[in-house]
Amino acid sequence: MWDLLTWIDGTSLAETIRISLWIFPALEIGHVAAIAVVLGSIARVDLRLAGLASRDRSITEFSHEMLPWTWVAFAVATVFGILLFVGQPVRYVEIAFFDAKIILILLAGLNMLVFEHLTRRGVGRWDRAPIPPVQARIAGGLSLAFWISVVVCGRFIGFV
Amino acid sequence: MLQNLSDWLEQTQLHTIFADTTHLATWLIIPISQTIHILGVGIVMIAVGMLNLQLLGIRVARQSFAELSARWTPWIWGALAILFLTGAVQTIAEPTRELMNNTFRIKMVMLAIVVLITFLYRVQTKKDPGYWERSNERQSLARSLASLSLILWLGIVAAGRLIAYVGAIEDF
Repeated sequence: MWDLLTWIDGTSLAETIRISLWIFPALEIGHVAAIAVVLGSIARVDLRLAGLASRDRSITEFSHEMLPWTWVAFAVATVFGILLFVGQPVRYVEIAFFDAKIILILLAGLNMLVFEHLTRRGVGRWDRAPIPPVQARIAGGLSLAFWISVVVCGRFIGFV
Repeated sequence: MLQNLSDWLEQTQLHTIFADTTHLATWLIIPISQTIHILGVGIVMIAVGMLNLQLLGIRVARQSFAELSARWTPWIWGALAILFLTGAVQTIAEPTRELMNNTFRIKMVMLAIVVLITFLYRVQTKKDPGYWERSNERQSLARSLASLSLILWLGIVAAGRLIAYVGAIEDF
């Protein structure tokens, strides 16, 4: 693991990202803009699942509207995020907020898998329920908490 | 004028609190405010994405533009209120960094234009739900406004990030 990070650190791509005055801010802009869209789209689905907003909408239909945005933006955020990481891989893994951010993204993914494969099975019965059953509300609440924490960690990486 | 506002803000009690980095509780004010700001940006971006892509002819929802407009515009105004409040916290904490910075000023001009466009969408749709589809001229006007709006919103996000890089005017 450590060898891999030091190897990345020594590549010419890493060198270019470190030296250039404009590449890093440009990557940050792409990363932040994409994360904003991930967050906005997923938060709206989460609020619906939690029964806190868009209560008159079908959960399935609303998710179909939002999730393409989430996935495309997540892919963009990941590509820009990896490039930001490549510039100083050793430094980033040593920042606790960075490690926490990665773990929180994995937890958000796990929460989504559980929801997709278990909780969503009976969606036909509560697709239009203003307040979905408790498992769905928990999934929505957890997702919101995880993603907000991802942004908190991301912001603090820049402060330490 | 902005110089005066900036000087005045620096004399305020709130500035003293927000700019105090010696205590954890006050040091946390800025990163927390920035995090809430990013959440607000997210809510705005998905809403303007939905509205403007639909106007560009990319069907992002099964509903009509009028329905989308009624559903999504209140989220834009709500998020903008949060963005204004958290933005104000950051400006009071560092008045020179924001007010005396050309990137910040360009951001505010772009913001004024997109707010106007968003307002125009809503007002015309309220008067006539089919307003933006009535004629070919209207449709092409809608497409021009939607393209401009999307470019400006992305420009606003970019400018927001760049404020951290471009020094205040007095630094030059």
